[in-house]
Amino acid sequence: MPRRNIVVWFAALVVAVNGFFPAVWILLTSFKTETELIQSPITYWPHAPTLANYDAAFTAQPILRFMLNSLVVASLSTALCVLVGALAAYALTRLRLAHRNLIMSLLLAVAMFPLISLMVPLFKLMRELGLLNTYLALILPYAVLSLPVCTLVMASFFQDIPADLEAAAMVDGCSRVGALFRVVMPLAAPGVFTAAILAFVNAWDEFLLALTMMNRVNMRTLSVGITLYQGEFAFPWPLISAALIIAIVPICILIAVFQERVVGGLTQGGVKG
Amino acid sequence: MKTWKTLTAATIGVVLAASAMGAWAQQTTLRIFTGGQQRPDVMRKIADEYQKRNPNVKVDVEVGGATSEAQQQYLSTVLSSKDSVLDVILIDVIRPAQWAAQGWAEPLDAYLGADKPKILAQYLKAYVDADQVNGKLIALPYFADAQFLYYRKDLLEKYKRPVPKTWDEMMETARIVMEGEKNPQMQGFSTAGAPIEGTVCTYLVPLWGAGSELTKGGKLNLDTPAAREPFQLYGRMKQAGVLPKNIAEIPTDRIRIDMQAGNLLFAMTWSYVWNRLENDADSKVKGKIGVTMLPHDKGGASATCIGGWQLAVSAFSKNKAEAVKFARWLSSPEVSKMQAILASHMPVFPAVFKDSEVLKANPWFADALPVVEGAKSRPVTAQYPQVSDVIRGNMNAYLAGTKTTDVALNDMKSRLAPFLR
Amino acid sequence: MTSGKDLSERALGALLLAPAAALLLVIVVYPIATLFWNSLHAVDNANPAAGETFVAFANYARAFDDERFWRSTWNTVLYVVVTVPGALVVGLALALLANLPFRIKWPVRLGLLLPWALPLVFAGLIFRWFFEYRTGVVNDWLGRLGVEPLQWLSSPTLAFIAISIAIVWKASSFMALILLAGLQTIPRSLYEAAEVDGATRWQQFWEITLPMLAPSIFVALIFRTITAVQTFDIPFAMTGGGPGDSTETLAMYIYKTTLDFLDFGYGSALAALMFLLSLIATSAYLRHTNRA
Repeated sequence: MPRRNIVVWFAALVVAVNGFFPAVWILLTSFKTETELIQSPITYWPHAPTLANYDAAFTAQPILRFMLNSLVVASLSTALCVLVGALAAYALTRLRLAHRNLIMSLLLAVAMFPLISLMVPLFKLMRELGLLNTYLALILPYAVLSLPVCTLVMASFFQDIPADLEAAAMVDGCSRVGALFRVVMPLAAPGVFTAAILAFVNAWDEFLLALTMMNRVNMRTLSVGITLYQGEFAFPWPLISAALIIAIVPICILIAVFQERVVGGLTQGGVKG
Repeated sequence: MKTWKTLTAATIGVVLAASAMGAWAQQTTLRIFTGGQQRPDVMRKIADEYQKRNPNVKVDVEVGGATSEAQQQYLSTVLSSKDSVLDVILIDVIRPAQWAAQGWAEPLDAYLGADKPKILAQYLKAYVDADQVNGKLIALPYFADAQFLYYRKDLLEKYKRPVPKTWDEMMETARIVMEGEKNPQMQGFSTAGAPIEGTVCTYLVPLWGAGSELTKGGKLNLDTPAAREPFQLYGRMKQAGVLPKNIAEIPTDRIRIDMQAGNLLFAMTWSYVWNRLENDADSKVKGKIGVTMLPHDKGGASATCIGGWQLAVSAFSKNKAEAVKFARWLSSPEVSKMQAILASHMPVFPAVFKDSEVLKANPWFADALPVVEGAKSRPVTAQYPQVSDVIRGNMNAYLAGTKTTDVALNDMKSRLAPFLR
Repeated sequence: MTSGKDLSERALGALLLAPAAALLLVIVVYPIATLFWNSLHAVDNANPAAGETFVAFANYARAFDDERFWRSTWNTVLYVVVTVPGALVVGLALALLANLPFRIKWPVRLGLLLPWALPLVFAGLIFRWFFEYRTGVVNDWLGRLGVEPLQWLSSPTLAFIAISIAIVWKASSFMALILLAGLQTIPRSLYEAAEVDGATRWQQFWEITLPMLAPSIFVALIFRTITAVQTFDIPFAMTGGGPGDSTETLAMYIYKTTLDFLDFGYGSALAALMFLLSLIATSAYLRHTNRA
């Protein structure tokens, strides 16, 4: 139906523009020179597009290393967080535990403290454990930071899975934990993937811990590394834009490739989209 | 026979021990922490030179986050935890009193020993004063800085206006030039207005230019008419349309950017700007810039804010002796000259200002020396962050129009009193 | 239920919760305990020679007399009240739009997820640029529409609006993701049955979509609220708290007190108070779960 198509197209446009606009702006900026940025009125399309910024982005800092560090830290902390969170979410939704609400509240409470105030003791802790400038110094805190949100997101999805499905699996000789991994999690896939993405992006975004725990340049993560592109006093937007594009592109490819699973999920039972 | 054997064994033993110790003493690694704004690339070159001359020392240059906030975050966390990761740290001229109270800096007096008076006599007095707290030497000067008045000499010539000595002259010139140029992008005068450290100077410079001081006899001195002068000056400028409308947003580098694009007539800012305006490929004002002392009130005298960076040795370093040796070299006339030529950092030695090679690279240093010699320091107190916060917050609020002079001054008086008794 | 079964359930529960408990114990219990300990002592790292004396609730009392604490808390409450529903509405709209049947799905979903591929640190800086007086995109577009450029970041109200827009932009992506996953689990058959019954799209939305989404909305709201109470990065990057103190949030004040003034004792008390604020803000949601 033509009218419905227009609505659909308009919707697509809105969502795409909302998300893409800053990214497109950064993309265009990455081809400009610094002087062009201070012209009034401002320019959108670069006057004399240049690749110099990308060249500088790769050479001035080890940006590929930054990306590798971010990917390692984010992936491993996400895996840890989802694993631990799934176990906890299962316990909270499937088992009749005496202090269920208290446990959930405690979990939430952990998220309610500002990281700034926990920095010095956390730094000292990592130092005592000898973990500074190692991946674990970030993997462990990141897993903890996202644990509340992952657990509760997965819990809310686990709750919707009927218990008889597990019962059937257990009759077939599956243990409860086995049922968790073989029955519940696949059915709650959208929730699991959502939790994973939330944890991943929290780790990806994080700045303060990454700044403090890793001071060796080759261990720095992307969010900190990009702020190291500096000239005297200036904030070189073209250079930093190039670095940001380099950083975002792999994420975009990842999302574009996995978005079916991420957003569509593997749910059964007839769903929209 | 036995004696020979023993002697040989002993000699071999000594040789082995010495070489082992030599090997052990071989590699000291020093880490120096600098901000991205203090030319870490030049620091790297200088460190390489040190490594050449001291083969048993390796120097890591650690560049802190882009902004001074990110650096402060990192340093606060690491040094509050008494961590030994850093050996030498580059600190702003406003920090020594704080660092002394916090116990983060290793006092250098013992290391300089009897040479101390001779060494200190070589420096600009302002830095010797800034780096000594309660009789202890907390840091050594690295490079100097002060605020200057930059102006478009081509436009001043065009409209036959003299270089302004007073604020009123400057405002009049700005009015004439802006009316004549009819350029909607052009602004008359700009300085730091965002809630950043530089905005403390934005308040203090007109105060000093009116002949007054922030404290007198150890007490806060804001009940004078001169204390109102900074607010009223910028108020007049705003009304005359000389200040940019969004002055409350303006961070330090914005001033340079606007001047470099040819959109600014007068600017009150730091020395780094000169190099960029004259040498940047995209500068529209090459050869058109003049630098002079800041204006003052009629009857007052020109005053400027001192800046510049100092070398402190971490009190928690595991290599203090080596670190002090490195810091002393970094704070030497030789390195000062290297910095002046490579980075246009102003020297901390009056003698180096007059060096011919330095002047060739930075001809305006000759005029800059008297300004730097007369530069005044911001309040020296262990609680400088709080003091700075009050002054720059109120200056920013006034420029944004959210506070009147009276409200701002009262706030400053009540909140500064506990710190600047 | 025999006690044997209960015991094994409890044992299993403990086993399943053990990894989470271990992680939390190792990583956050010591820092949180230190935080509370600090809040009860005078810990001034700007003056470590003074030692750390026990002062009971003096730090908390100081907060109650501190005008800046109340102002920053008020600013924080404003941000919570504006950006939590704001992000929910925008996020829900985005999720619903993204859920429509597109032939080519990836641009829409990419557009949905892109806002947080951009690190938070840069989101703030980019929006600061967008709202810059002379070189900002927003004023450029206003100019083209014939409107005077606005001083977004140097006027308290406009700065609040600009910051809220930036926060909602970033946070709605988070909400949209959770809500979209929730939307996926609503069986199509419900909508088909409703259409047969003659329900309009609006009715379908209110009576099917929203109720079925309730658990997802609930989770999204809780975490959005907790994060909103801790609002820091975006206003920090955009205005640094200015003009004056007008956009300073409680988290920014804590940051200033702890890392700039180095007053760890007072900073920790403020953090404990922020924790209290989070509890209050989320208690409404939590009471809802207890009933449900």
